Amino acid sequence: MADIAFLLIIFFMVTINFEVDKTQVYLPKTEIRFEIPKKAAYISITEAGQIRVSSGEEISVPVPGPEDVLSFAAGVVAADPHKAFVLKADNTVPYRYVDRVIDALKQAKAEVIYLLSEQETVESTASGG
Amino acid sequence: MRFKRGTVSDEIPTASMADIAFLLIIYFMVTTTFAATRGLDFSLPQEEDTPLVDKEESVLIEIQPGGVLMVDNRPMELSEVLDYLKPKLERNPMKPVIIRPDEIAEYGYMVDVFDELRQAKDKIGIEVKNVSIPTQREIQMFWY
Repeated sequence: MADIAFLLIIFFMVTINFEVDKTQVYLPKTEIRFEIPKKAAYISITEAGQIRVSSGEEISVPVPGPEDVLSFAAGVVAADPHKAFVLKADNTVPYRYVDRVIDALKQAKAEVIYLLSEQETVESTASGG
Repeated sequence: MRFKRGTVSDEIPTASMADIAFLLIIYFMVTTTFAATRGLDFSLPQEEDTPLVDKEESVLIEIQPGGVLMVDNRPMELSEVLDYLKPKLERNPMKPVIIRPDEIAEYGYMVDVFDELRQAKDKIGIEVKNVSIPTQREIQMFWY
């Protein structure tokens, strides 16, 4: 019994993935999805345009506006020039918020951004979303 | 005064081990979240490999609020975009494709278009290699 219990513990310890960003968003659905590298920096944008950032090491913190993303991203890129950024934006957020965040990342010389998404399924395609 | 010397067992007490183990299992079960860890990758141009995209020679996909697509100023359904691009890409595989979402268009539509372009290899057998999503600042700076 204890053996099985420890086996399970080890399984959960290995598979656990501490989410650095717990913002609730409805992600867009895509058919093409690539695995995001571990320890990527996260930038989340909620439906209302609130932005939270995390360098991938600690829990995300809110920032007042897109301008602050630039200083955050510049710091992250300075520490690791090949750091991947993950954009976790709500499906329905007006594009201007995303535009400013992408612009900040471009200015900070980030190399790659992953647009976090969910798997598009046959049903979701059929229902038009 | 004499202290009573207790006898110390030379075994590690393991009676509570299973309890601790189950407590840990429950902790990990509760905290484990199968988070979305996948997404569309989108390489940002680095300075040395960024030829300025010529507006005249590129295909411009505008996304209007509500998800209406204007491809080279013609309204188009998302499913038609790749068929429209196919002959152009056959002539020039490096044909630049510019995605330009409206300020108030929803982000999801941009992702839909980008996803569609990334599937070009499977759907029309030719890759769309040169996709750019200029930001508002870049448009103001470089687009005369």
